[in-house]
Amino acid sequence: MKILSDIAALVTGMWITWKHIFRRPVTIQYPEEKRTPYPRYRARIVLTRDPDGGERCVACQLCSGACPVDCITMQSAEDKDGRRYAEWFRINFSRCIFCGFCAEACPTLAIQMTPDFEICKRDIMDLVYEKEDLLIDGCGKSPDYNYYRHAGIGVTQPRGSGAEEKPPVDVRGLLP
Amino acid sequence: MIYDPIDIALLLGKIALVFFVILTLAAYLVFAERKVLAWIQDRKGPNRVGPFGLLQPLADLIKLLTKEDFRPIGADKWLFYLAPAMAAIPAIMIFAIVPFGAPLTLFGHTVQLQVSDLNVGLLLFMALSSVAVYGVALGGWASNSKYALLGSIRGLAQLISYELSMGLSLVPVVMLARSFRLSDIVNAQAGCWFIVYQPLAFMIFLISIAAECKRIPFDLPEAEGELVAGFHTEYSGMRFGLFFVGEYINIIVLGGLATTFFLGGWHGPFLPPAVWFSAKVLAFAFLFIWVRGTLPRLRYDQLMHFGWKILTPLALVNILVTGWWLVLRG
Amino acid sequence: MPKLIIDDITVEVAEGTTVLEAAQAVDIPIPHFCWHPALGKAGACRACAVKMLEGPVKGIQMSCMLPVQDGMVVSTTDPEAVAMRRHIIEWLMINHPHDCPVCDEGGECQLQDFTIAAGHGIRRYSGKKRTHVNQDLGPFIQHEMNRCIQCYRCVRYYQEYAGGTDFGVMGSAGRVYFGRFQDGELESPFSGNLVDICPTGVFTDKTARFRARYWDYEMAPSVCSGCSLGCNTTPVARYRELLKITARKNEAVNGWFICDRGRFSNSAVNDPQRPRTPLVDGRESTRDEALEALALRIAETEQLYGTGSIAIVGSSRLALEAALLLPQLAQLTSAGALCYFTSEEERATTTSHLGLLSGGTSASQQEIRESDCIVVSGCDPLQDAPMLALAVRQAWRDGATVYVVGDGIVLPCEFTAVAAVDAVPLAAAKKPVLICSASCNSDHPAGLLVQHSQLKLAVIFPAANSYGAAQLAGEQGGVSLERAVASGKIKGIISVEADIPAHLLAGIPFVAALDWRMTETVRAAQIFLPTTAWVEMDGTSINNEGRAQRFKKVMNPGLPIRGLDPAGHPPHLHRTVPPGGEAQPAWQTLALLIERVSGEPVTEPFSGRWERLRGLDAGSEGVMIHDL
Repeated sequence: MKILSDIAALVTGMWITWKHIFRRPVTIQYPEEKRTPYPRYRARIVLTRDPDGGERCVACQLCSGACPVDCITMQSAEDKDGRRYAEWFRINFSRCIFCGFCAEACPTLAIQMTPDFEICKRDIMDLVYEKEDLLIDGCGKSPDYNYYRHAGIGVTQPRGSGAEEKPPVDVRGLLP
Repeated sequence: MIYDPIDIALLLGKIALVFFVILTLAAYLVFAERKVLAWIQDRKGPNRVGPFGLLQPLADLIKLLTKEDFRPIGADKWLFYLAPAMAAIPAIMIFAIVPFGAPLTLFGHTVQLQVSDLNVGLLLFMALSSVAVYGVALGGWASNSKYALLGSIRGLAQLISYELSMGLSLVPVVMLARSFRLSDIVNAQAGCWFIVYQPLAFMIFLISIAAECKRIPFDLPEAEGELVAGFHTEYSGMRFGLFFVGEYINIIVLGGLATTFFLGGWHGPFLPPAVWFSAKVLAFAFLFIWVRGTLPRLRYDQLMHFGWKILTPLALVNILVTGWWLVLRG
Repeated sequence: MPKLIIDDITVEVAEGTTVLEAAQAVDIPIPHFCWHPALGKAGACRACAVKMLEGPVKGIQMSCMLPVQDGMVVSTTDPEAVAMRRHIIEWLMINHPHDCPVCDEGGECQLQDFTIAAGHGIRRYSGKKRTHVNQDLGPFIQHEMNRCIQCYRCVRYYQEYAGGTDFGVMGSAGRVYFGRFQDGELESPFSGNLVDICPTGVFTDKTARFRARYWDYEMAPSVCSGCSLGCNTTPVARYRELLKITARKNEAVNGWFICDRGRFSNSAVNDPQRPRTPLVDGRESTRDEALEALALRIAETEQLYGTGSIAIVGSSRLALEAALLLPQLAQLTSAGALCYFTSEEERATTTSHLGLLSGGTSASQQEIRESDCIVVSGCDPLQDAPMLALAVRQAWRDGATVYVVGDGIVLPCEFTAVAAVDAVPLAAAKKPVLICSASCNSDHPAGLLVQHSQLKLAVIFPAANSYGAAQLAGEQGGVSLERAVASGKIKGIISVEADIPAHLLAGIPFVAALDWRMTETVRAAQIFLPTTAWVEMDGTSINNEGRAQRFKKVMNPGLPIRGLDPAGHPPHLHRTVPPGGEAQPAWQTLALLIERVSGEPVTEPFSGRWERLRGLDAGSEGVMIHDL
């Protein structure tokens, strides 16, 4: 009979909730107990350096272009050796949604996300991080990569001596 | 009638005791509900305020008292302010007729552990529970809000429908006890609880009082998923608190009445009567919380269908069968 | 007209059209690098491959090289054509340095777009890349030869279109190199167009180097204010700084290109010395205070010196909107003089040349390009209106004969020097054009126009809106400020973006100025109200042929972020109006002043016969004002 199966369903439900009353709660008491996030956890953003100690960021604006909440702004500038770098670089963490698009868009692996998720501040203006707050002394993930060794414009090495480059062409050569 | 000062003092003492116990219990019932629901959902529940979170009700009270007392534009001022009182006061008044222990002898006076032993106690309960409907109706009407109005319309229909089956389910109890007086009903169960004779009436009464307290699965008047908070959407601060605490007072009071009508009131072996009574009431409260943690909300048409086409006819049939049985028994 | 089918769409185009253009006519994109509408085809890049399914030719063909013929059935999506294009792109990318993040072309790069469109996302070739050494091409153009894909657009433009001789292609085989023979500034006054025309990042704008990306640009259709030609431009701004100016296509005016003077002249807008706050007697104040004081001083001056002691002065660089409100202001203040010109000579020559142009005798740049006989009479187009010289070259390339009257004139084409216009066989020409200047008062061409009915006239005026100023001066009976001051009656001057020489201001007790540049007049003014530069407002100007063109607001006025804190980042401040952002277009300030004096609000500068300019589309070819 339908009514019997209905009552059985009610009783089954009640029985399941009854059992759960005696289960160990899954709650983690946050400030006292903390769990270790995985290394690829997406939290506070940093700017890394290449293995030679130079700033990886070339201020190409891809991260700010990819950012869905427009929390990244920067101004690029040119150094004496022709290196493109960020004159200033600002991430507004009060807007950031930690989606990781910026890190994915970054062609030089400069912008990376760290597992440090505790970045609350009393004053919201303190959440506006400038380049000096973001730049770290380290390579973060991918420690061996130096963008300028691969992009053929010659900043870290003379033109034509990069990783996949031939020496510059002699335009006046006559050989075929 | 002769008014003995000691009688009056005892009466005032009983009222004060009932007020204190009921309000404290209601506050802690909120806490207990949050805890039990948390356990059911594998959480820990409130545990920050005081040891094991025991001071949580106090914190809630302070919060509610210090909140802004908000009234929407276009709300009917007096009705808007009256409605929360209309919801809470009848609920607590019903407890006046509930006997919560065996009569005691104090200072040479026999003290009924009951504020007032009316000979029409059961009828008074029916009347007061009807008055409580006005709290819902006025709150929703006076708020000048579509959510509140929809909630109160649902509430009215639901409360009136289930009041009928609730009243009908109590007729066999009166027939068995041959009295409307609640102390008589309790005494009639000294041997055997009415739940044994009337399991069907008990089930109908249980379902109906769940609907009367607007508890899940009958919480359509507040249905937060669809109506924000139903009839008390526009209330804040302590006015919302009155609606809220009224609901939990209702649970205690209706649990007390169910105990009185079907579970033998304060009767029970070994333990003192008041303890038996409290244990039974708390068991009801736990049942309500447990059901809330388990069942989903009914649809409106299911609610009406169940009330009018199942519960009410069943209660009528139950009266007929009980009457027939009483006649046969002689 | 041949009819063909491209991707199941039937197209009918004119004889001689290529398949690529026919496809573009129905919005079917075909990748291309070497083909450019202004330069034509070269067949150098092979990126526009399509498959011909039916018709006179079959198989894979280069769509830019193939003239349409009846019965062709073309597929751009055929697997064979798609594969061909993918392989071509992959091959073009073999030597590419993959430095898009540090390339200024990134984001607006045709090579990027077509590489991604062709599906070549990952480099498969593991061999080494060819490299080149760059050249220093001067302060305007940055050279990065590694990015080159040998489409030959630059050299075709520079040598053929613009007539430059110092830039070319050298080397052979895989060593082809585009540059100068040795380092040095590019000599052509049209070299900036290399930036626009290069489909990748070999030539980029050095003045805007590393300033912004395409998706952050603030852009709007605009009109160059450099000379009277009114070439169409798209200025690019970011962070309240005018970064660069790019050419915008307008077939009737400048075609696809602009001159270097127009392209690299953004310093006035970004000038940190630009006056940006209202001043009353040298004290900073709000706009309302300044307007209040202005209205009060006007009344005082009139009380003191009698009515007619105020001169309202506009200028030939003032936008039409403000110029149209000046008569209203002059009437309300019962001004003694309404001046659109400061110098009497400029007023006289401009007005008299304007008289020649009414009635459709003005030649547009397009008409010059299509002319068969051009006379340059007593003026130097390369100096005063460079794009005219480029137009003359295009006519010459198409076989026109060019005559020059006068000495020391250089043109980017061959020409015959003649002693006088009379020596030119104008009667034999079908579409002759005479180019003269309003400021060099040589032979007045009025007589010639009567003689030769087919002769068209291109007059070089001194400033961007000279035509509009002269038109209004003629309509409103405006005199020059020189004359007005000489009468001795003028005791107060309200200058609206006018450059008044110091000697005219010398004896004037009350001077008020509205301007966006720090001029002598602004320095001398007791009351100053800032106005917006042309990139900071919507406005209209009338070019040398009488063509009214709308320019749109590119950016908000205000101090550029670049100048705010040179040491570090912009300040952490919330504000609704940027520092120095109080400036508003001159006509709006004038409207407020008129409202203050008369009590009636002015919401629309265009009224009467000018009403048709209200909804003028900045993307259109403009409206000839003698049609109004």
